[in-house]
Amino acid sequence: MKCPKCQRPVDHEAESCYSCGYSEVVAASTCGSNVVLLNRIHDAAHCLRKHERDDLALTLDQLELKFPQMLFCVYLGTLPSHLSLSELGFWLLNHGQVKGAEYARPNENAVLILVDMNTKQIGVSMGYFAETLITEEDAYRALMAARPNLVNSEYGEALERIFLRLGKTLDRKGRQLRKLTREQLHAGVAGTKNPVLDLPNHIAPHLVARVVARAEPIEKPLKSA
Amino acid sequence: MRRFSAILVLLTMLPLPVRAAKVELPTWEASESETYYLGGGLWPKSLIPDAAAAAQDPGAASGLAPGVAPDGTILPAAPGFEIVGPPAPGAQQFYGPQGPVDGSEATPGNRPAVIENPDGTFVIPEEIVEEEAYEPLPPLEGELSDLYFTHAPVDFLIDPQRLLTEQKSNDIKRFLEFHSDESSFRIFVMAIGETQKIPDHIDIEALHKKWFSDEPTVLMLYYREQPQLTRLVFNESVRNSLPDSVFDRILQNTLREGGVTELAPDQVEKMAIELSIQLYWLSKLMEHENKDDQARAANSTIHELVASSDAPELLREYAPGIFIEDTSKVISLVFTLIVVIGGLALIGLIGWGILAWKGRENISGQPLLFPDFKISPRLGGEFSGGGFVGMSFELGDSSA
Repeated sequence: MKCPKCQRPVDHEAESCYSCGYSEVVAASTCGSNVVLLNRIHDAAHCLRKHERDDLALTLDQLELKFPQMLFCVYLGTLPSHLSLSELGFWLLNHGQVKGAEYARPNENAVLILVDMNTKQIGVSMGYFAETLITEEDAYRALMAARPNLVNSEYGEALERIFLRLGKTLDRKGRQLRKLTREQLHAGVAGTKNPVLDLPNHIAPHLVARVVARAEPIEKPLKSA
Repeated sequence: MRRFSAILVLLTMLPLPVRAAKVELPTWEASESETYYLGGGLWPKSLIPDAAAAAQDPGAASGLAPGVAPDGTILPAAPGFEIVGPPAPGAQQFYGPQGPVDGSEATPGNRPAVIENPDGTFVIPEEIVEEEAYEPLPPLEGELSDLYFTHAPVDFLIDPQRLLTEQKSNDIKRFLEFHSDESSFRIFVMAIGETQKIPDHIDIEALHKKWFSDEPTVLMLYYREQPQLTRLVFNESVRNSLPDSVFDRILQNTLREGGVTELAPDQVEKMAIELSIQLYWLSKLMEHENKDDQARAANSTIHELVASSDAPELLREYAPGIFIEDTSKVISLVFTLIVVIGGLALIGLIGWGILAWKGRENISGQPLLFPDFKISPRLGGEFSGGGFVGMSFELGDSSA
């Protein structure tokens, strides 16, 4: 995982970025600590036509029907220069509330696509649960598949294509998980044996091992005592 | 009331000028109504009531009988005019059954009349068809025999009695000359009468050997209008190189063509053409069958071009009589079957590929539920730890 601000690697249990100190507190101080209400297709830049919006909504309906746990939403806007897409995605997923999203679709299951019309950039922000199912490679491949449409300013078709690609990835991942036994699944989640999920690894596993090794001698005398 | 009377007067006065106006119609002049006697046998005499009177005084006849207008139409009869008495004997009728009106015997050259029986049935008399009879031909003896058999023929068509028409003879000669230029076999056609017989002391095979031993030649002995009696004489070397069935088929095909028509010149022409075709394929067959020719071709520095791959198909189509089927039919059938099955499989594969390509982004099927995972938060985020993948779609910027 990378820091949304400085794009440096971040440990999966870090409270803040080791490099720049970025965290949710910093994001809240920049963008606000309040909760914002989002539409499922939030077109702040007004670049989607009605039929594109309708088609996209239909695709999202299909995806939500297929994946009842997942939340799919889009934000299109013109961002100020000091705010990057990754920061906005991080903040929106932690402070946003998507209209109509049921309790079964929390933000940690969200796949949020962000488009900045100023810098012509597009990105996929994912909640904790979603990022265990969709790898960075799959997400990047889905974005690349829609690049011709984006270049031609066919934003509706591009977003549809990205969502469908991500849906295909989720489908494939779901079939893989269904084949696993309960033990394999727990082992994969714990990351002890062949991890089935793409969980982020510790940046410095030797430090963890050293901490564990240091703790063991302390306990032994206590036991002996 | 006064206004009503004024309108009434106006309405009654309006048609008066229309009634007063006269349309000037052309008047019929007496000079144009004259009739003219055409004469000259243009019309049947029965249409002229008094032909004799007309001959004497054409103008007088016009007053009594329906005349003929200058444009050829028959003018109507004058009022009170009636044709008295039966029509002239032997008058020609334009409509209805042909023949004399008075029921007399049919004139020579006309169709015989149908005789009606009292019970209402008709008897159609048999027409006597005169068969074209040929003059009896003399036997092949003496000078006539010498014309046929003494000297080797110069023309490809040997017909000293001129049994065929001159035009057809020329055509057949030209065709046989053309054939001899193009083919390795020459064709000589000897035409004799249907009643004539080859003298006993004449041996056709010996004559053929004597005349045509230097070059492959076929002598077709044709009896006038009796194609079934036709004989084909080949060189002995040619006969020995191939089985008799081949020559029997050639003869059968030739006779079949000759049997299509009845006239002697047409029969000769058709048979010659068919024989030419059959000889072409015979020569092709001999190239493959004759070992001497193969050995000669192998030793020769000049090689002929190998027949094209579709030659057997052409042979089968154009000369089924001499085409010999081989065992490769079964192999070709299996090969065709494999090709068809392979083609179908390929089409199916392509179709499946197209469907898979079209449905690569299709999301359908039952809802999919994922197992719950407990993931520790990072960077203080409650729902997201900042997982993000981005890309620029600015032209000229492909950075992620």
